Amino acid sequence: MLPLILREISFRKGHTTIMLCGLISVTALMTAYLSTESAAERETKRVARDLGFNLRILPKQTDMDLYWFQGFSNQTMPEATVERLANYQGVFMTYNHLMASLRQKITMGGGDVILVGVAPTITSPDKKKRPMGFTIKSRTLHLGYQVGQRLGLKSGDTLQLSGHDFKIEKVMVEYGTEEDVYVYGTLKDVQGIAGKPGQINEIKAIDCLCLTADQDPISILRKELEKILPEARVIQDRVQADARARQRQMVQRKFEFLSPFLMVCGAIWVAVLSALNVRERRSEIGIWRALGKGGGFIAGLVIGKAMIIGFFAGFIGFWVGNSMALEVGPSIFQITAKAIKTEWSYLVWSLILTPLLAAAASFIPAMLAVTQDPAETLRES
Amino acid sequence: MLTCESLCKYYQSPKGMVKSLDEINLSVSKGEFLEVRGHSGSGKTTLLLTLGAMMHPTHGKVVFKGTDLYRLNRAKRARVRSSSIGFVFQMFHLIPYLDVVGNVLAGDDGNHSGARSKSEALLQELGLGHRLNHLPNQLSAGEKQRVALARAMVASPDLILADEPTGNLDPENSKEVCRHLKRYQEKGGTVIVVTHGDAVHDFANRTIDLKAGEIISGPLVDHQAGDA
Ligand SMILES: Nc1ncnc2c1ncn2[C@@H]1O[C@H](COP(=O)(O)OP(=O)(O)OP(=O)(O)O)[C@@H](O)[C@H]1O
Ligand SMILES: [Mg+2]
Repeated sequence: MLPLILREISFRKGHTTIMLCGLISVTALMTAYLSTESAAERETKRVARDLGFNLRILPKQTDMDLYWFQGFSNQTMPEATVERLANYQGVFMTYNHLMASLRQKITMGGGDVILVGVAPTITSPDKKKRPMGFTIKSRTLHLGYQVGQRLGLKSGDTLQLSGHDFKIEKVMVEYGTEEDVYVYGTLKDVQGIAGKPGQINEIKAIDCLCLTADQDPISILRKELEKILPEARVIQDRVQADARARQRQMVQRKFEFLSPFLMVCGAIWVAVLSALNVRERRSEIGIWRALGKGGGFIAGLVIGKAMIIGFFAGFIGFWVGNSMALEVGPSIFQITAKAIKTEWSYLVWSLILTPLLAAAASFIPAMLAVTQDPAETLRES
Repeated sequence: MLTCESLCKYYQSPKGMVKSLDEINLSVSKGEFLEVRGHSGSGKTTLLLTLGAMMHPTHGKVVFKGTDLYRLNRAKRARVRSSSIGFVFQMFHLIPYLDVVGNVLAGDDGNHSGARSKSEALLQELGLGHRLNHLPNQLSAGEKQRVALARAMVASPDLILADEPTGNLDPENSKEVCRHLKRYQEKGGTVIVVTHGDAVHDFANRTIDLKAGEIISGPLVDHQAGDA
């Protein structure tokens, strides 16, 4: 029976093509929609949980008790660490920016301050957002509110540190956090003051998303980062809530009707085309009957054809849909390109469901073929 | 071999009852070549399909090789058709997407090995040896009908039923088709041809006339042949 069906399929190329195209469209759109949706869903989940998920990367040997007491690590790591992290091409994480710093406690004007040397912010290559915060010029300092108060300094004043003059660029407003006792300078200057050239002791990775993790992103990030930054340890900063996540879910709701709608369209398409095919094959069906073939055989010709076309449509449709998702998915849905991936399970589903849809849709035409009175067609002359 | 008793086929139509077949009694012996003549609408096709286990009569019975055909269930009746009855139609009814050999093989009931070589030999015999892999739309009418003949013969049926087999053919091709049917009969087959022309007349060994569903002339039993 299969060779017969294949012959008929290749004989009526026009009919086959139209049916195939319809089913390919349905499968492709479904695949594209579902894989972008599942990417969006994955990302929504992650965003809802992870956005504002900032990482602090510290030297491995850091005494964590001490770190939390004093606010900086007592160890350092090479400045190159941050470049290594920035250049790492792994797909497990995206970040908005990386800020490397060297933090050191010094005494200034009879009190302790934390001197923070800030390297220029590195912005993620796939993010267009400008780095936040401020830039610091060489030989200048930004004083925390508390420090400014204590030393009675204001912007424009000069301060001597390790035998060098530093201009006070500005005294910051009161934050009500530990930053009020911070003094910011360039990384280079602070390394000089602290006598730790080429060293840093903290990297802040801002707005990280863990792309592989559906559960417990931090432990995955830790594992991955330990591989590429063996000299570092990773801790997670506070979590912030995100309203965008909810907004995204609303976008998806709007498209929820799509899958059933597409399936119904595909089914109607196949049903109509099968029915036309059965009509065209009345005489053939009559002769098969005269030759002693049963209803199962006749139904098999019709449903089998639909299923075979469905199978090929499932295959091609998956590829088309998958490419569509990879190409245009990121621009339609607000998701990062990295989050969309080929969903191989959809290939399996396409190969099962498209033939099944086609079979179901051709059932009524098949019954028309089976119940057709062969004597009627054979009498026609 | 084939008999029918008080065979009736009525159609209910808006303008009243149409009696396509009315109390037909007929007996056909093995090895006979029976011609059934009649004008259009006289019930020839109806008779042929009813005798061929394709159409349930309104009443009456058809006994083929000792079996009352319409007492069998559909599947068994289909099996009788596939193994014992071959059909030939005026419109050929070839399967358009199968080549010549494929069409002939479609008539094979699957009970014989070497169906393909048998088909090819048959086609050779019918003068279509050079056409084996052509599609029906590449054939002339005469060639198409010979393919249909080969299809009807390939399963070596006991009975061939032909409905106007020469209706679409020129005299030359008509004769050729009749000759092949004749040869089949001479080898022991039974042939019933319904027609409104007389192309078959010279080949038949019995002729009956049908009018408005009734047999109006001709012997109901072939007195020359033996068994019934
Ligand atoms: N489904 C039907 N409903 C009503 N009448 C029918 C039906 N089928 C056939 N008939 C009638 O039965 C009669 C016999 O039809 P049949 O096809 O057997 O004729 P025929 O002798 O084969 O004619 P032709 O030579 O034109 O093929 C005709 O009068 C036809 O109109
Ligand atoms: Mg007729």
